[in-house]
Amino acid sequence: MMQNPLYSITALFDLPDEIIHAADKTSKAGYTRYDVHSPYPVHGMDHAMRLNTSKIGYFAFAFGLLGALCAVTFISWVTISDYPLVIGGKPFWSWPAFVPVSFEVTVLFASVLSTLAMIVLYFKFPNNAHPLHDTHYMKQVSSDKFGLSIQAEDPKFDEKLIKEFLKTIGGKEITSIYFEPEELSHGQKLFDLKFIGVLLVVALTVSASTYFTLNKLMYMQPFNWMMVQNKLKAQQASGLFRDGIGMRPPVEGTVARGFIPYAFKGKPEDAGTYLVDPLLPTKEVLDRGKSKYLTFCSPCHGNFARGDSRLQGQFPNPPTLHSDKVRSWPDGRIYHVITEGQNAMPSYTPQISPENRWAIINYIRVLQRAQNAKESDLK
Amino acid sequence: MTNEAIDYTQEPQITTIPVTSADIDVTIEAPLNRFPSRRWWIALGVTLSVLAFGLFAVTMIQLKGLGVAGFNQPVAWAFDVTNFVFWVGIGHAGTLISAILFLMRQRWRNAIARFAEAMTIFAVMCAGMFVTVTHLGRVWLMGYLFPYPNQHGLWINFNSPLVWDVFAVSTYFTVSFAFWYLGLIPDFGTLRDRAKYRYKKIIYSLLSLGWRFSNRHWTHYERLYLILAGFATPLVLSVHTIVSFDFAISILPGWHSTIFPPYFVAGAVFSGFAMVQNVLVLVRKMFKFEHIITIKHLENMNKVMLLTGSMVGYAYAMEFFMAWYSGSQFERFVFLNRALGPYAWAYWTMVSCNVIFVQGFWFKKIRTSVPVMFVIGILVNVGMWIERYVIIVTSLSRDFLPSSWGHFSPTLYDYGILSLGFGLFFTCVLLFVRFLPSVAMAELKSVVDGAQVKNH
Amino acid sequence: MSGQSSSTEYLNKPLPLITRSIGWGLLLLGAVCYVLGYLVDVRHAAFVHVVNFLFLTSIGVGALFLIALEYIAGAVWSVPMRRVNEFLAALIPIAALMGLLLFFHLHDLFPWVNAEAVAHDATLKMKEPYLNVNFFTLRFVVIFGLWTVFFYLFTRNSLKQDIDKDQKHTRFNIGLAAAFMPVFAIGLTVIAIDWAMSLEPLWYSTIYGVYYFSGIVLAGVAAATYIIVKLHEHGYFPQLRRDHFYSLGTLMFVFINFWAYIAFSQFLLVWYANMPEETYWFIDRWKNGWEYVSVLLIVVHFAVPYFMLLSQDSKMDLKRLKFISIWVLFAHMLDLYWLVMPSFSTSPVLSWMEMSFPLLTIGLVVVIFSWKMKRQNLIPLGDPKLGRGLEFRL
Repeated sequence: MMQNPLYSITALFDLPDEIIHAADKTSKAGYTRYDVHSPYPVHGMDHAMRLNTSKIGYFAFAFGLLGALCAVTFISWVTISDYPLVIGGKPFWSWPAFVPVSFEVTVLFASVLSTLAMIVLYFKFPNNAHPLHDTHYMKQVSSDKFGLSIQAEDPKFDEKLIKEFLKTIGGKEITSIYFEPEELSHGQKLFDLKFIGVLLVVALTVSASTYFTLNKLMYMQPFNWMMVQNKLKAQQASGLFRDGIGMRPPVEGTVARGFIPYAFKGKPEDAGTYLVDPLLPTKEVLDRGKSKYLTFCSPCHGNFARGDSRLQGQFPNPPTLHSDKVRSWPDGRIYHVITEGQNAMPSYTPQISPENRWAIINYIRVLQRAQNAKESDLK
Repeated sequence: MTNEAIDYTQEPQITTIPVTSADIDVTIEAPLNRFPSRRWWIALGVTLSVLAFGLFAVTMIQLKGLGVAGFNQPVAWAFDVTNFVFWVGIGHAGTLISAILFLMRQRWRNAIARFAEAMTIFAVMCAGMFVTVTHLGRVWLMGYLFPYPNQHGLWINFNSPLVWDVFAVSTYFTVSFAFWYLGLIPDFGTLRDRAKYRYKKIIYSLLSLGWRFSNRHWTHYERLYLILAGFATPLVLSVHTIVSFDFAISILPGWHSTIFPPYFVAGAVFSGFAMVQNVLVLVRKMFKFEHIITIKHLENMNKVMLLTGSMVGYAYAMEFFMAWYSGSQFERFVFLNRALGPYAWAYWTMVSCNVIFVQGFWFKKIRTSVPVMFVIGILVNVGMWIERYVIIVTSLSRDFLPSSWGHFSPTLYDYGILSLGFGLFFTCVLLFVRFLPSVAMAELKSVVDGAQVKNH
Repeated sequence: MSGQSSSTEYLNKPLPLITRSIGWGLLLLGAVCYVLGYLVDVRHAAFVHVVNFLFLTSIGVGALFLIALEYIAGAVWSVPMRRVNEFLAALIPIAALMGLLLFFHLHDLFPWVNAEAVAHDATLKMKEPYLNVNFFTLRFVVIFGLWTVFFYLFTRNSLKQDIDKDQKHTRFNIGLAAAFMPVFAIGLTVIAIDWAMSLEPLWYSTIYGVYYFSGIVLAGVAAATYIIVKLHEHGYFPQLRRDHFYSLGTLMFVFINFWAYIAFSQFLLVWYANMPEETYWFIDRWKNGWEYVSVLLIVVHFAVPYFMLLSQDSKMDLKRLKFISIWVLFAHMLDLYWLVMPSFSTSPVLSWMEMSFPLLTIGLVVVIFSWKMKRQNLIPLGDPKLGRGLEFRL
């Protein structure tokens, strides 16, 4: 049809020798926009067509380097910075262990990305709307013949001359190939509708499946089996026990780990005799004692242990701790009072750890000395 | 096959009778166009049944727990990891044929490369399935194997060879698939142009991505093919090396041995070639490809089996010697236990199949006799499967402390695990030969007589 | 076939006088240094002698391996250059002589030679059936004996074929190559274990033989490549093309990678399991200055050659091939030094002995070549694959 523009003029050849010579002569004749088609690559064709060596190797190298960099950086960040774990006693940056993964990622990036680069960038595939598709020419060259196609775009294109030329170099079945209407409008745009459509479908499918899997599927049988476990949780009722309570107090005589039972239960004098303050009155101990005293003791005993409770009558005032009686008590006797309680004072074992009790006692001694200072203390 | 002496001044023939490009098109396309024969359907029925049994077994394992198979303490790995290593190994033969023989410019590989690569992909799929599906108590959590950002703030343990396996097998599958697909593109182009039905034409057009056989494209294509082959080669070595690291990084006697990486790679190629040889013997007969997949191809594969089998034998000898040389009672015991302990039957089967029977390939008569080589191939497959079983189970069942010793016995479900691999693999192979060209047409055309220019 | 008859005139061309003189000079200088070394410090000299002995063995048996590999794989590209490997393989009996000299100094080298030390160490006593001087000697004699026999048979057949052009020699050599492989594999493993690994008798590694193998092949390829390129540049191999050199370059590249793979595997496994009875060998090579040698080894033996031979063009560049071949030979020497010398001293020593003993090796190679090239063809004229080899295209 005269309306369809011309794409190229093609010729067929039977033997590899013929096509090599044909290509050579075509290059010599000064044509540049032409192509050779063969069912398999013919050695020496690149030279005959004056083609440069492919640069795809540089892509592969660059992608490989990228892969190596990504792998090493990511693994190093994970193991040193984000969630360092001591594994097998090895240092955080255990580089020999990172080599296998880094190597694999290097090869993965280099191979897959260069393949994609070649297919998408170099070849501009997929492209099923090229003028040469579905022609008798294509059917021949995809099977067992070789073809030469000189494109209309070539600056030296002249239909009659080229037909003559092709005949002289031995081409058979010289045909003109025309563009089909839909092939003209085809271009490799990044915003091709079909491509965007495919991307959209993929994105939707992936997000939908991920959402479903993680938010819904994990709660369905059998994937939720481990959510229902036959163990007793806190506060849960239990039919195993007569009173139906799941939480059980410890058995009589059980001792918590690290717990040393108080040996002087009900024996204040023995506590005074045998218990000894293990802490030295260092600044840390006294600071701690002060802070604990102010927290736990001062509400009733007052800030300076004078018995001037801050509770202002809502609770009976305790006696002052600066009395001769208390000042003559051994440290252990005071410890006993804090541990067991005395009269209105409850036991403070739940609130104050043994060490803190001693710290408080140290502080009380400081207060006692302060309230009853002697001339000699000022020196 | 005649017994006349080879004339070394001549290039060896790729095909036994001269074939042209057109012949290749017709021959290779033929199985794709005709309705499959009854034999194919029967074979498919068998493989699907085997696969179904496998699926049943893994479903039950997920529902009831891993204990229904024979897993116990101390033998926590048995059929699962044995099959994993076995199938990854099978995959390696494919890559060796398609990538390494390509790099060595061994043109005879062209007739069998496509099939070998397809087998690689199927084998790696099977292998991947073993470590994810059969191995895990909660399969649906297999996503934990990959480093994705999550609310726990956790990452995978990059120090663990099990994680290295994830990357290695995934990369191996992806790159093999890319390599295989790259090789298929020109063949899809040819099939597209020869398609007689519209639906086939559409499918092949899509799959061929619009390939036009242009030399400007062939240039880049050839270069990339070479680069992928160049990457696939160290990849093969690295993948089975990483698989060997699963064992060798431990301190278990019988497992912790520095020779494991090259030993496993050699073993992988050995078992892989046995499987490829077996399947090709069947395929060439069924589709009448004997003039394309020739006795010479089979003979070359047998020679590779002899070479790699010897390497495996060397490794056995080295391990045995070093166990003695080390003076360590634990190392020495492992080897005595293998030969004389409760799994001695496995050990001696392994030694006979892998070291003894394969020596038959020294003799040309045996190398070129199809029935005998087929049997030896099967024996090698059995032997190599048992080798992994011996390595895993004997070392686990009896390690340092006798009070920790235990025994492993496979249950029905273990055999189910075994069936899963064979079922899936052979189903895929059967589907492959029905729907895709099992010989790389364009590659074969480029190496037959008269394909290339003589003087340039 | 084309190219054969016209190149006869180039083939029996001997090496120029200057080269022969340099060869003899280096040989004598090396010999003198050896003698001086033993007079100055016997133990040190013995250790450097071991390094050099293993180096010489690598080149010789590596070359023989390449010959066998060519026959077994049916390769054609290496056929025109095979004679170079045949000449290099002549180093095997000479290496044997060098090794024999070491038998005077076994007690300086190996802890297990000392009967008292063995009696006091339970582990050494357990190894005594293998690590004793008699069996050690027997292994050495048998292995080098067998290797020399194979060398003789391969080369004799090849030379005979030059004259009678009979293909039966190729067939015989192919069978011979197949028989050679197991002898080679076991032999090199035993030599590596005996002469290098048993310097630390309490340490062991099953991959040690494979490690030495990777070095052997590299040494063979590097030596052959350098010689082939040099001879080609001086007109001795006029028909060789970039396709041939590319194959040599690729072979070297592949084995650089293989060495790195084996070395890293060995290291990773020992590092990971962290067992003191294995790690001490590596720790010894990471303190008191040896750490610099270890890092140098990685850089010199892997990093530099890898990147220098990565691109396709670099494998065909003659200048680069020559440079890398010498570099790789030096790297292999460094590798052997790193394997052996930590048993001699806790920190690395670089003295005139380490620098001068290798001169003997270089001198030997040149002298052997000058001797052989006067008497034998540089190209295997009678080989049936020669025509295909000369026409080889990638």
